[in-house]
Amino acid sequence: MLRPILLVEDNPNDIELTMIALERARLANPVISVRDGAEALDYLRREGQWASRAPENPAVMLLDKKLPKIDGHEVLKAVRADEQLRRIPVVMLTSSREEKDLLRSYDLGVNAYVVKPVSFDDFMDAINDLGIFWAVLNEPPPHSS
Amino acid sequence: MANVYEAPSSANPTATSAETDCAREPIHIPGGIQPHGYLISVDDAGRMVQVSANLAELAGAPASSLLGQPLSQVLGDAAALCLNEVGTQAAPGAPRFICAIDDPRAATHGAAGHAPLAVVAHRHDGVTIVELEPAKGTADVFSSVYPLVQTFLRELGENRTIDQLAQSAANEIKRITGYGRTLVYSFDDAGNGHVIGEALDASYPSYLDQHFPGSDIPPQARALYVLNRIRLIADADYQPVPLVPAMHPATGRPTDLTWSSLRSVSPVHVQYMKNMGTWSSMSMSIVVRGRLWGLISCHHATPRLPAFETRAACEYIAQMLSLQIEAKEDRAQAEYRLELRDRLSRLVTAMTDSERFVDALATDAQDLLGLADAAGAAIVFDGQITQVGLTPDASTIERLVAWLDGQSDEVYATDAFAHASGEPVNPDAAGILAVSISKLFRNYVIWFRPEVVRALKWAGDPRSKLASLSSRLSPRESFDVWTETVRGRSLPWHAAELEIAMELRTALLGIVLRRAEQLAQLALELSRANEELEGFSYTVSHDLRAPLRHIAGFADLLRDMEADKLSERGRHFVERIIGSARFGGRLVDDLLAFSQMGRAALRIQPVDLATLVSELVAEQQRDHPERAIEWRVSSLCTITADAVLIQVVMRNLIDNAVKFTGNRVGENDSAIIEVGCETGRGELADHDVVFVRDNGVGFDPKYMDKLFGVFQRLHRFEEFEGTGIGLASVKRIIERHGGKTWARAQLDHGATLFVALPRRSVAPDLQARETPAAAVARIASVSTHGRPFRNVRKPSE
Repeated sequence: MLRPILLVEDNPNDIELTMIALERARLANPVISVRDGAEALDYLRREGQWASRAPENPAVMLLDKKLPKIDGHEVLKAVRADEQLRRIPVVMLTSSREEKDLLRSYDLGVNAYVVKPVSFDDFMDAINDLGIFWAVLNEPPPHSS
Repeated sequence: MANVYEAPSSANPTATSAETDCAREPIHIPGGIQPHGYLISVDDAGRMVQVSANLAELAGAPASSLLGQPLSQVLGDAAALCLNEVGTQAAPGAPRFICAIDDPRAATHGAAGHAPLAVVAHRHDGVTIVELEPAKGTADVFSSVYPLVQTFLRELGENRTIDQLAQSAANEIKRITGYGRTLVYSFDDAGNGHVIGEALDASYPSYLDQHFPGSDIPPQARALYVLNRIRLIADADYQPVPLVPAMHPATGRPTDLTWSSLRSVSPVHVQYMKNMGTWSSMSMSIVVRGRLWGLISCHHATPRLPAFETRAACEYIAQMLSLQIEAKEDRAQAEYRLELRDRLSRLVTAMTDSERFVDALATDAQDLLGLADAAGAAIVFDGQITQVGLTPDASTIERLVAWLDGQSDEVYATDAFAHASGEPVNPDAAGILAVSISKLFRNYVIWFRPEVVRALKWAGDPRSKLASLSSRLSPRESFDVWTETVRGRSLPWHAAELEIAMELRTALLGIVLRRAEQLAQLALELSRANEELEGFSYTVSHDLRAPLRHIAGFADLLRDMEADKLSERGRHFVERIIGSARFGGRLVDDLLAFSQMGRAALRIQPVDLATLVSELVAEQQRDHPERAIEWRVSSLCTITADAVLIQVVMRNLIDNAVKFTGNRVGENDSAIIEVGCETGRGELADHDVVFVRDNGVGFDPKYMDKLFGVFQRLHRFEEFEGTGIGLASVKRIIERHGGKTWARAQLDHGATLFVALPRRSVAPDLQARETPAAAVARIASVSTHGRPFRNVRKPSE
């Protein structure tokens, strides 16, 4: 079983567009979608409704910056601080082109920062590249399950 | 002062040490008295313990035989009642009048030749010093004094000026004493005397308005004159009368005669008197606020002994004159201070109301100059010199400020600046008064007073005195008028002016401080507004961009997946939706980038324009392989600017040139784009001017003012696409560098866009500061069209 791609996104439009783009990228990895930062941490830590999920960590987490409850940066910070989770590749996938958001993401140890392009073709290219790179090409860290 | 000169009689000093020796002379312990009276020291048991040798005449017995005897032994029982009061009334300080008695000899030898004696006494060093001086009678001395001073008293009310008072005092003292000449002097700060009042008999030379050098009176004499207000030398040919025993019986040292009215004076002083033709002299101190303000000095060509009552009247007049001078000076000072304070409060009000307080000071020239009674003033603030009235030129003021930096006082004043600084005399600024508001920032207010050339009349050349001292110590012999011309000096600064200058400083500091507070408040509000703006930008970035993205995304999907179900019109609409949404996205991205350009900190460093431009040209050639553009890039300079932002500028200019030459496609009609660099001239000296010239469509110069506006377009959308943010970004970036943008164009004849950048020096460590991630973030945030980096498209699937 391939490790899943975790999509953390609250906007249903973005979820739908991203799912379509991932679908079109023809990745074999399952895609798990969670709606806010708290649920993302639940999933990663196998708590709450995700307590009984399979133990392996996702191949990559696509993380929106602006999220209800716990925002993307806080999730990233919590992941990097967690011995079990800190090696998970995290890609910020966001609308924000603000310099300070980008800097903060890098400071917190993001693996990539992608501004969602307005054009769907461009967006699809980006998702395709991301999926191929992180889910297929990238060698995951050892013992990261 | 001439009549009070006292100096040592022994010693054989060199010229240079003469004054020093003079200053060391212990004139308060002369070891004897003048012969016109008697001195008796009495212990607490009423016994005589030291007497003047001439007491023998009075007692009819050797002086030494009187020691240990009661005072009545000498004065007789007749005076007993009076003398009983000696013990109770004598106090330390100036001798008090106790009573007047008949000369004890008068009882046996008759009154003729034996004047009554005034008894004065004071306590000193544990004994009562009783002095007997010739008096007119034995009546109450005060009733005798009053008639003598009443004329002066009446004139006190009539005379308005100090000089008039001085003249009245001279007249009255001469009248009641009969001295041939009476002078009233005032002393300046250096101790030089100036004769301001004089009364004299025809045979005496006048000294009115003449000056006597301060060295005529050594410092210890001045100190003595503040304490002992009256001194009399009855006969310059007198033989001093020694004290018996010679030493003070209690202390074993020479008796301190500071307070004694009979004190003997230095033989050199007597010589000085004789040089002046004076055989008798009397002087009274004018003491104002505890300081020796001046002297009243009486001279007579022959020996003269004024009666005790006369002397007391003179002392009384001097006292009243002192008080009047003090009152008049105080009043004049108070009035002057009030006037200065009025001026200050007008200035402060004007400064508070004004945008720039320097302007307020300079505008109200009358009050600014009046504040220090000056002819000119300079305000040195924020590196600028504002001149008011009569001042030296700016470069002289700059030198002056540099010199003032070395002075530690907050208020510095001199009436002889050339002398103080070693600079040549400047007639417009012989005197300066400077207030430093801040030494650190070199902020000063400086007032100038012009040179006042004065001709000083000296009573004899003051310099000849030292010269004549070489072989034998002797006071100066010449009192002939000697005129000295004093140069390089202004009128002296008044204490009130220094005080008000200090207050102006305090007020200025208050205003500067308040200004700083207001600025800090403004900065706070500005940073708040900036934060709000950032918040707004963020909202735009994230929340406005997202729906545009969704519209474009779903419309793309609709076209891709459902196009065959739509009519031709429906597909056209979808294309319009996609186009509009993408353009909306670009507008948002460009607007954000534009706002970022205004906010991002500048990182100035040397930028090699040649490399930068050649990369941009190569990029254009890759992007537009179909275009045949003739690039003319002349030798480009290295500028100092923010590399990231200047790249945005050059990219925009070159993009524009490429875009607007799109109409030139013919073989003999190719696009020409020229990029060059030149040195700025005129007001742009010290600037590098970079230009990009094309032979494209140009524009009508009447729209010039719109060229650099945000979202301003001079061409229809269908002709040339774009959001209209490019040149607005150029302008904003160049302005943030302190530079200038402009253009030259003709419709259909191309356009040239210019940017001028100031040359600056760059701190060497600046380039190292930006981390790669920060640089990437910055490039991304200021890139228009939402594309910091070029998309390298995959070969289409």
